[in-house]
Amino acid sequence: MRFIVSSSSLLKQLQNISGVLNTNNSLPILDHFLFEISENKILVTASDLETTISTSIEVEAKEEGTIAIPARLLLDTLKSLPDQPLTFTIEEDENFGIEISSDYGKYRLSGQSGDEFPKTPEVEAPSTLEVPGELLFNAIEKTIFASGNDELRPVMSGVFFQLTDEGLIFVATDAHKLVKYERSDVSAKKSADFIMPKKPLNLLKNILSSMDDQVNIEYNDTNAAFKFDNISLVCRLIDGKYPNYEAVIPKENPNVLSISRTALLGSIKRVSIFSSKTTHQVRLKMSGSELQISAEDADFNNEANERLTCQYEGEDMSIGFNSRFLIEMLSNLDTEEVNIAMSAPNRAGILTPATGNDENEKVLMLVMPVMLNN
Amino acid sequence: MEGNREIKEFRKIIHIDMDAFFASVEQLDNPELKGKAIAVGGSKERGVVAAASYEARKYGVHSAMPSKIAKAKCPHLIFVKGRHDRYKEVSNQIMEIFKAYTDLIEPLSLDEAYLDVTYNKKNIRSAIKIAQLIRKDILEKTRLTASAGVSFNKFLAKTASDLDKPDGLSVILPDEAIDFMKELKIEKFHGVGKATAKRMHENGIFKGEDLMKLSRKELIQKFGKAGKHYHNIITANDQRAVVNNRIRKSIGAERTFSEDIHQAEEYFEKLRLVHQKLMQRIERVGRKGRTLTLKIKYHDFEVRSRSRTLDFYTKDEQLIWELAVDLLQNPAWPEKSVRLLGLSLSQLDIKEKPKNGQLTLDF
Repeated sequence: MRFIVSSSSLLKQLQNISGVLNTNNSLPILDHFLFEISENKILVTASDLETTISTSIEVEAKEEGTIAIPARLLLDTLKSLPDQPLTFTIEEDENFGIEISSDYGKYRLSGQSGDEFPKTPEVEAPSTLEVPGELLFNAIEKTIFASGNDELRPVMSGVFFQLTDEGLIFVATDAHKLVKYERSDVSAKKSADFIMPKKPLNLLKNILSSMDDQVNIEYNDTNAAFKFDNISLVCRLIDGKYPNYEAVIPKENPNVLSISRTALLGSIKRVSIFSSKTTHQVRLKMSGSELQISAEDADFNNEANERLTCQYEGEDMSIGFNSRFLIEMLSNLDTEEVNIAMSAPNRAGILTPATGNDENEKVLMLVMPVMLNN
Repeated sequence: MEGNREIKEFRKIIHIDMDAFFASVEQLDNPELKGKAIAVGGSKERGVVAAASYEARKYGVHSAMPSKIAKAKCPHLIFVKGRHDRYKEVSNQIMEIFKAYTDLIEPLSLDEAYLDVTYNKKNIRSAIKIAQLIRKDILEKTRLTASAGVSFNKFLAKTASDLDKPDGLSVILPDEAIDFMKELKIEKFHGVGKATAKRMHENGIFKGEDLMKLSRKELIQKFGKAGKHYHNIITANDQRAVVNNRIRKSIGAERTFSEDIHQAEEYFEKLRLVHQKLMQRIERVGRKGRTLTLKIKYHDFEVRSRSRTLDFYTKDEQLIWELAVDLLQNPAWPEKSVRLLGLSLSQLDIKEKPKNGQLTLDF
């Protein structure tokens, strides 16, 4: 069995899917790429059993067959070659010997039987939805940082997809912060919801950052598949019930701060350097049209104070937040102005973009305070 | 000005310490060992004593002493193999006794625990009375003796339990605390090890009263963060609470070698074994950490530790290995032949973070 392929286009495709490879696999076969060769096309697959991702590449090939090729070895080889056609020759005996010939010479490695590779799961009796790649990319990017890492609450380690006939909602939370991203320009015929794990979302985000095709999503109760261009990703969904996030978003938030996003972000970044290393707490004090941002670290007698002008409607108040959460959230918005709506120092603050927002897009970021002990 | 005196509520803390626990259990289960000098563990050529009976202690044998030295000090010493499951079983019986009095129990090990009995299940006002009852219950149930210390903070309770050992009960009352600590050797203070004691001696600090002469600021300047702790203790202001689930602070593994090592390849080979063991434990505990410490015990029992702290949490096998190798070689290879290598991961991430003041959404 032989095929000829361009080294750089093969590398590019393999790098798209290699993110799924784990560093220490329990099954040695998972350290391999599965190559399925058919006439003038190969389908390459990588899997960690939870997520399986495939990409197809055009090649020159006459025969059909399958082979599992050691992934690291292949990637390292391709990375060190300038672009050129490579000829892969695969011996069809029990050693699964692979010979790669380049302009410089020949490299031999041994693979494994393609039959050993786990079968790509089918999404049975799926519902389907088509979304623009850019939409999915934004939805992942805006939400994924807010998801949790707590193994004890696996549902919160993913992003909640809520598909309705009015639009799509994406939610992530770790119980300290929460992001709700809504799109009204795409809707689903039938309402459905599921929880996507972080790893396949990060893979999708990376691939979609450089292409903008329509993405076809297929899903049922246990699996979801994302297909676009030459990529197909199938993953298992997180099993469980997503927390009732609507219930924790406070409705009455009479104190509203409006301020330049970049000015606030810059100020918090500077002030937080002086905050306690355990709480990362910064204090926002609003009175009239002035916002005072301060932090202190009692252990080292460090403190910082800054003043910003702002628009503020409501009663004077002081509230503490973890500066790292605020920095993540402000960095993830892209409008010039932001609003922060609050009610009391022990209730959530709600961050929303104020201006220039796409009318099809709605973002709400919620952050729980750190209590101030004066 | 008597009437103006502030009435302060004192906590009632008991420290219970079983007497020569492992050794006593062995003597209880094997009557032929009764009254004899025995050591638990360390029968091997290069092992160390895990526990020694009081008869053995008379000869200067104590826990953590290399068996060779123990045998030299006490030639008729009988080595007994440790039976951890049995000690655990007895320890559980003792724990049940504690639970009859309070739920605020902080076990330090199988044979030692703090109890906060300020409010207790039996509504007994006197902590001394409770300590007496607990000692009686332990003796009846297990036929083993325990020593107890009663006071109003952890440090003083623990110090007290050591005053009249074995089978004793000591009390340090709030009014006596300062006078008591004045006379106490600094080696006896919580958190003062050999190295700190040496530094204190160099600074002319030998007894509690020498520490009392220093201000909080001076103590912090001299001893860093620990200075704060010493100041709290010396002013009888040790506010550390009795917490019933002790939080794990580190995950570690170490190995004593059958022969001292001093070749590079031997170091790598042995370090690899310690690393593997550490990784197994990290996996079992399921936590990440930021600080890796390499412990080196030289053939002459001098102990050194080297550590590196990352600015992120990790349990990555490869990264921890690379750090370990780096610690072994830098700033220099061990200068003498080595008897023991250990690795530990600390500054662990906390799964259920009791985040200071960070509020949580109510799901």
